[in-house]
Parts: sequence; C-alpha cells; structure tokens
Amino acid sequence: MSGPAVLRQREDATPVMVAAVIPEPAAATPVAAPRSFGTLARRWYRLNKDRLQATLIGALSLLAFLLVWHLLTKYRVTFFVRFTNVPSPLAVYEIFSRASHDPKFGMHILLSCRRIFIGFTLAALVGVPLGLVMGRFKLIHRIVFPVAEVLRPIPAIAWVPMAIMLWPTNEQSIVFITFLGAFFPVLVNTLHGMSLVDPVLVRAAQCLGARERSIFRDVYFPGSLPHIFTGLTVGMGVAWVSLIAAEMISGQYGIGYFTWEAYSLVQYADIALGMIAIGVLGLGSSLLIRAGGSLVMPWRSK
Amino acid sequence: MSQLDTRAPKGHIEVSDFALSYETLEGPVEAVSNTHIHVRPGEFVSIVGPSGCGKSTLLNAVAGFLKPTTGSVTVDGEEVNGPSADRGMVFQQYSLFPWKTVRENVEFGLKMRGMPRSQRERAARTLLGLAGLEAFEKHYPERLSGGMKQRVGIVRALATGPKVLLLDEPFGALDAQTRVIMQQILTNLWQRLKISVLFVTHDIDEAIFLSDRVYCMTARPGSIKAEIPIPLERPRQQSMMMSSEFLALRRGLMSLIREESLKAMGGEINELAMQGLSIDLHGHSLAEIL
Repeated sequence: MSGPAVLRQREDATPVMVAAVIPEPAAATPVAAPRSFGTLARRWYRLNKDRLQATLIGALSLLAFLLVWHLLTKYRVTFFVRFTNVPSPLAVYEIFSRASHDPKFGMHILLSCRRIFIGFTLAALVGVPLGLVMGRFKLIHRIVFPVAEVLRPIPAIAWVPMAIMLWPTNEQSIVFITFLGAFFPVLVNTLHGMSLVDPVLVRAAQCLGARERSIFRDVYFPGSLPHIFTGLTVGMGVAWVSLIAAEMISGQYGIGYFTWEAYSLVQYADIALGMIAIGVLGLGSSLLIRAGGSLVMPWRSK
Repeated sequence: MSQLDTRAPKGHIEVSDFALSYETLEGPVEAVSNTHIHVRPGEFVSIVGPSGCGKSTLLNAVAGFLKPTTGSVTVDGEEVNGPSADRGMVFQQYSLFPWKTVRENVEFGLKMRGMPRSQRERAARTLLGLAGLEAFEKHYPERLSGGMKQRVGIVRALATGPKVLLLDEPFGALDAQTRVIMQQILTNLWQRLKISVLFVTHDIDEAIFLSDRVYCMTARPGSIKAEIPIPLERPRQQSMMMSSEFLALRRGLMSLIREESLKAMGGEINELAMQGLSIDLHGHSLAEIL
C-alpha cells in the first residue's frame, strides 16, 4: 500500500521541492533534494494514512461483496433464501454491456433523471423558502405547520392513487410524487436550521445597523444552510424511493418501470441491472448535492 | 480614521430612574431597580457586580435590546429605541458571522450603511491593521484563536464609527495572558478614537485597570451600590497593578462585591459559616476535630 503512495507523492512533490529549494544556497541544493523527497513522501503518507486505509478497505469490501454474490449464484445456494434464479455478477455485467448500447435503456435512465430533476428542484424551490419564512414569522408557522404535520407521515407511495386523480397525465403524477418525497425532508430541516440560528448573531447584526431584509439574507439564511443541505440530501434519497415506487405502479418508462418489467418478462439479469442502476444514480445525485454544499459553504470545508 | 478623530465629542449616555422587571406567573420580578448611571463623552466606565445582578441587563437596555419598565435611557439626549449602529456592541461569545471572512465581518456594518465596496474594503483593512489582523483578513473566524476573534469583534463594532462602545464581559472567555494583551489593545483603540465606553465585567482588576470610573452594583434586584472614580494616571502600565494605590482601590471594590455576593447567596449567616470554617487540620482528619 505504501509503495504506490510514495511513488505518486514523488511526482506531485517535484515542483514544490524546486520552489522550496531555489532560495537556499546553491551548494546545499543537490544534497538536500533527494533526502527531502523521502521525508516529504513519508510525511504525506502519514497525513493521509487514514484516508488511504479507508479507500483500500472500501475497495476490498466491494470486491468481497461481488465474490460472495458470485459464489452464491454459482452454486445456486438454497438456505432459507433461494439463489436458484438470481443472476450472477458476470451475467449482469454482460447484460449491462449490451444495455449500454441500447437506446431504450438509456431513455429509461434519462426519463428517471428528468423526473428527479424536476420534482426535486420544485421541492427545493418551495420547501427552502417556505421553511425560512415559517422560521422567521410565527404566524405563518402557526398556519402552515399543522397541515404539514398531518401530511408529512403519509408515504409518497400512498399518494399514487390520489396523484393519478389529481394530474391529467401519468408523467405529471409521477413528478408530483417525487416532489412530495423530497419536499417534507427539505421543509423540516430548513425549519430546524432556522430554529438553531444563534440569536446573538442576530443581535450583532442589528447593532451593526442591519434591517429585517439583511438579517434574513446575511444571518438566518447562511446560518441555516448546513441544515438546508442536510434536508436536500435526505430529500434526494426519499425522492428516489418515491420515484421508483411510482414508476413501478403507474409508469411507462423509467428505471423503476424497467426493473418491474424485467420481473414480469422473467429477465432476471435485468432486475439486478435495474437495481444497480438505481443505486448508482442515487449515490451520484447525493454526491452532487454534497459537492454543491461545500461550494456554497466554503467556511465549512477544512 | 481621521474623520473619527476630528469630530466633536459625542456619546453621552444617561440612564435615569431605570428599572426593568420580567413578567412571571407569580407577578413581576425585578431584575434592575432604581438605577442612575451616566457616561461622559470619551469616558471609560465599567460596571461590576455579583453574577446575576443585572449588569448585562442594564447594558442590553443601553444597546436597545431591552426596554426599561420605568425610567429612560438616552444617548446624546436621544431616547434609545431599539438597536442601532450608533451603539457598537461586543459580546462575550465573539459572535462573528462564521460564514463571513474576517474582513467581511468588519465590513458588514459599513455595507449596511450602503458604503461602496472599494471604500469599505479600504476602511476595513485600515481597522484590521490597527488591531494587527491584516494578515488574517481572508480567514474564516473558525480558524482564529479566541483573542483574535475578539479583536475582530471589537474592530467590527468600531467600524461604523459609533458614538459609544458597549462591551459585555468581552474577555471573560480568554486566558489570563491573552486578556492582558486585549485590555491594552482596547485601551489603545479607545484613546485613539476618543469614544465613550461602557464595559461590563466581573473581573475587578480589569475594571480598575481600564476605567475612569467604576459602578458597583448590588445583588438582585440590581441597583448602583457605589460609584468609584479611578484616579490612576494614564497611560497605565501592567506594573501599576502592584502599586499601593491600585491595591487600595482593589480592596475597596472587593469588599463591596463580597458583601453583595454573600447577600446573593443567602445572607450573613453564610459569612459567619465561612469564618467558622477556617479550621487548621494539623494532620488530623476533619471528623476527628469535629
């Protein structure tokens, strides 16, 4: 493990070393340089040991998962659960390489992503401002909160029949359900963030001449941003759950529909492919939100 | 800076017939009662007193966060009516905006005033330079030490050119060495800017070292027990804290506060008990002696 780390550091370190060595007396340069590479590399390794270890263990654990999956399906293990019909990782990979050239599979993914994008964006655009306003103005909180609390425990899937009645097209009802899934986590976390904003900071702003609008923009909003992003991350997860459920029940396209259809058509490898695609898409979208978070909140990144 | 130096002396704080009480189920509870204080333009005045005596309440009323139940608070003859940039405030917990860099924190008050960006950047840099913080202008507060944070806090409060500066136990969370340095920095800024200061602390040495005058408050409900002028000459040096003059002032204030602290803890019975507790064990266990 230390081998590649040291090697990579040597390449990275070269320009830094050159820069550091220039101001020193010329005579010292050749002696100091080669020894410093080693110390630098060792220091880098010491500083990043934890992260390297985490990456390595993570990779090994994923490999172990694949291996167990392979063995379970190869020997068609039946022990309480039956692996007789479960596709092997190789079969799934094969179907994946075929599907990646298939425009229909791409369209399923694209449509799901579009539904997530619209539903989630709407949830953020409604949930965050509503949470901010509810957190600031007691009256609005008192009016909206009871309704939100009654609707919140209803799982998005339970909204499917109602959504079909409400919206003229299937597409709209699916987007609506995705929206609902993301909306409540975003709202609740924004509210929570607002309630945790330090009142002394508000006072400090007032003492510096800030009026309501700037207090909102410069204190309450940035103060609740960390929780807003928690809400967005959780909301994204629930949005995917809701989307897949809605697609399975009432969809015509989408990765959830693809997975359910594969089951009806007895294409076992497609089931696993659909599941893995959902997992990867969900992971990717929460990574995007996290990246957005550290972009918007530079003061929180170390 | 120069515009701050040359203006006419301002910042006369007048608190008269002041009382403040909280509503509870059992009826109103008085936090501060029958209090008169004043700060002359350019004067440095401290308020000391036992904890819970309402000295912070009084300061918050001058800042405009609390309304007096009776009496009035005026600055230069104008009734205080809510917080304003005329009265800069420094808080014990620094209360810098974590999402703003050091310079953005200092600029905030100027921005609220509508000063154009380039101008307020220059003003903020000058002020940060005065406090020895120019190298940290782009840092976020989280990365600063306590003393540095509070320097930013003071500079931020001064940036808008307030008439008075209110400080609520600003060095209470700092270690002893940092505290001494901060006291010198504050004295320095105060003398340069000729600003009126109202300073709340529970540290008697700090109050004497910094102030022209010290108000000592009684236990709850707080009112002014004594007003002590501090005739020590300026500039004051750290070594003065060993002078007989300083120590005499310290002894006087100590006994005043001790009286009040004991009262706050439940009367003179405690004092007797405290005297009785000076038992010399001489190697015996407490149980043996008793």
